[in-house]
Amino acid sequence: MLAPKRLARTPTLLLLLLAAALPSRAEVSDPASPNPEKVSGSITVWSWNIAAEALSNLVPAFNRRYPQVKVNVVNMGHGDVRDRALVVCAAGGRGLPDIVTIENQAAEQFWLQFPSCFMDLNRLGFASINARFPAFQKIGLSAGAKTYAMPWDAGPSAVFYRRDLFKIAGIDPQSIHTWDDFIAAGKRLKAATKGKVAMIQDDKGNDDALFRQLAVQNGCFYFSNDGESVTISQPGCVEALETIKKMWDAGIVSSAGWDQKIQSFKAGLTATEVYGGWYAGTISNNAPDQAGKWGVFRLPAFRPGGRRASNTGGSSLAISSKSQNAQAAYAFIFYALATREGQVSMLKHRGLVPALLSATDDPYVSAPQSYWGGQAIWAELLGTLKDVPTYRPTRYYYEAAGISVIALSNYIDGKYPSAAAALKVAADRIAASTGLPVAK
Amino acid sequence: MSTELSPIWRARWRIRRGPLVPHRTPAAPADTFAKTKYRQTLIAYSFLAPFLAVFLLFWAWPIVQSMLFAFQNWRVSPPTFDPAFNWLRLTSDPLFHAALRNSLALLIIQVPLMMLLALLLAVSLNERNLRYPGFFRFAFFAPVVISEVSYSAIFRLLFNGDFGAINSVLGALGLPRTDWLNTPAGATTVVVAAVTWRWTGYNAIILLAGLQSIPRYLYEAARLDGISSFQQFRYITLPLLRPVIVFALTMSVFGSLQLFVEPHLITHSGPAGATETLGTYLYKQGFVHFNFGYAAAIGYVAALIALSPSLFKIRMLEKKA
Repeated sequence: MLAPKRLARTPTLLLLLLAAALPSRAEVSDPASPNPEKVSGSITVWSWNIAAEALSNLVPAFNRRYPQVKVNVVNMGHGDVRDRALVVCAAGGRGLPDIVTIENQAAEQFWLQFPSCFMDLNRLGFASINARFPAFQKIGLSAGAKTYAMPWDAGPSAVFYRRDLFKIAGIDPQSIHTWDDFIAAGKRLKAATKGKVAMIQDDKGNDDALFRQLAVQNGCFYFSNDGESVTISQPGCVEALETIKKMWDAGIVSSAGWDQKIQSFKAGLTATEVYGGWYAGTISNNAPDQAGKWGVFRLPAFRPGGRRASNTGGSSLAISSKSQNAQAAYAFIFYALATREGQVSMLKHRGLVPALLSATDDPYVSAPQSYWGGQAIWAELLGTLKDVPTYRPTRYYYEAAGISVIALSNYIDGKYPSAAAALKVAADRIAASTGLPVAK
Repeated sequence: MSTELSPIWRARWRIRRGPLVPHRTPAAPADTFAKTKYRQTLIAYSFLAPFLAVFLLFWAWPIVQSMLFAFQNWRVSPPTFDPAFNWLRLTSDPLFHAALRNSLALLIIQVPLMMLLALLLAVSLNERNLRYPGFFRFAFFAPVVISEVSYSAIFRLLFNGDFGAINSVLGALGLPRTDWLNTPAGATTVVVAAVTWRWTGYNAIILLAGLQSIPRYLYEAARLDGISSFQQFRYITLPLLRPVIVFALTMSVFGSLQLFVEPHLITHSGPAGATETLGTYLYKQGFVHFNFGYAAAIGYVAALIALSPSLFKIRMLEKKA
């Protein structure tokens, strides 16, 4: 008689064997993927919050293909990963894990300040899969001929809106084509809710996320795409700031930081939030009771027929140059980020928006989402990726953002005569702080 | 009378007069004496060695290194020696000037307010009629023990414009609500309130120690002479408490110029940089922008500002002593 223990183990073993056998056939279709038989070792990954959770969740599926690789995902705070990695790089790079999660906005600071801290992924085969990712997600990830990180998730901007509140005010989201339409709708919403509900929220004085999204949409950013000059005073940015000022002047904006935004939408005090696609998870996790009440539409354009795409946020994975198991590390980030299977799994599990172009074709992406009133929000969001203009955070991103926030807030409070004057001050300050010239 | 002031000043006095135990008179010839003295010095230093090693590694070296950083251009990799680079920027950087202004404004508003409250608190805690003095002393000292991060989070919630308890109370009393964290004056008030809440009790305990070292007989004599309690405070308490007040004041000035946690965690230096202090600006330059050269220069400016009045104060005290 078999002991009960062994009885239980037999089918598991069978399943494992089956699982191991299945994907190896599928792999033949992807010639760029590393050969599982040549890859082994133990690797450690530093990541944060939901990103780390999504990666951990992926490990069993990865191990079915690469049984000889042991993956250890360390979930640290968002700021901790960056701070610790910078300090370790400054100290020579020894002590870094094999894989580090890097926020795209902060990426160039790593490569330019510490060019030998991370490995050139082209040496591991990235060049052959480069085209799988959108251009705007790759611009900060390389320096010279070297590519230091593989794009992970993106933050395609959209308007997250409350269907029920829009209905009360008689607003049809399909009729909002431009920001002017949006402002007019906002006024109606304000009137219909007796001034209680804001149309949109802005973290005036603390974060310029709304401005950045509108500026990128309008083809403008703090810096030029070659990273050689300051462009925040260019017409595209001026128009973006003027549009935000119009919203404030129309009385449809309420001031709120990250936490306050969450409290506001939970309490039904705002009808929309404008953020990157990753905010979908923030909404559904914080307000599960509002299922069915939310929807998504594309950013309104600056003029009829104009661009309705932008981006904020996004991250990538880099491999330490001191890694003892670089091949294994590459196999892991390849599976997680460069295959549809890996990316869509993380989208399902934690709402991370794939920066992989082919993910758009996945059936899950076009499936209706019940929380979102049956809307296929991922198709809506991912569909904008190809239209997102390229913009470059450069190594000075945080410095520029700190300066921009102050100028913007002062302009909205009426301390400058025009948006152009406010952004001229910001441009001069960014130039003085970074040493880059202001673009003519 | 000066020896009665406080343990600190008693210790200072002792150092100036030398050890209380007299040296043994040398009976041996001169060269043996020199040898013994050399050996004694060696032994003394070997006892000191563990401390000196730690001191050199974690204290002296960072000071020297950061001094070098302040004269380097960290915008290029690797950093280059460029003595004027950071110092010139300090003169023309509006954000640094704003941070300096904010720090000094906080210093001028917060420190006197806190010292006054601490003095009142110390005098009341020193009252003989006070019941459960141990409990009250602990209660007022407790804020220092609480983790800065958790207390900052609670202050953020309390002062939340839409949902905070402070605004609810104001609203209930029929007073106007304020968007505390999103207006410059509101945010500055929150920082002042938070720092005052945290450090008043600490300073009160220091002042209380000073109060308790004032001999009771002085008050008894004053009472016999029919001196009013206000005049007792004015002519006995205040003058004798002076060195302790100066000590607490100096430490508070240092603290204010290094102010970091409250503006960083409660107001995020905002809105629009309204609560950016030298501490938060230094942190950003150093650890966010990785411009250690500029951060070091800012650090030295803060240190110089903090040091100048305290050097002045110590000299004044020494003259009086």
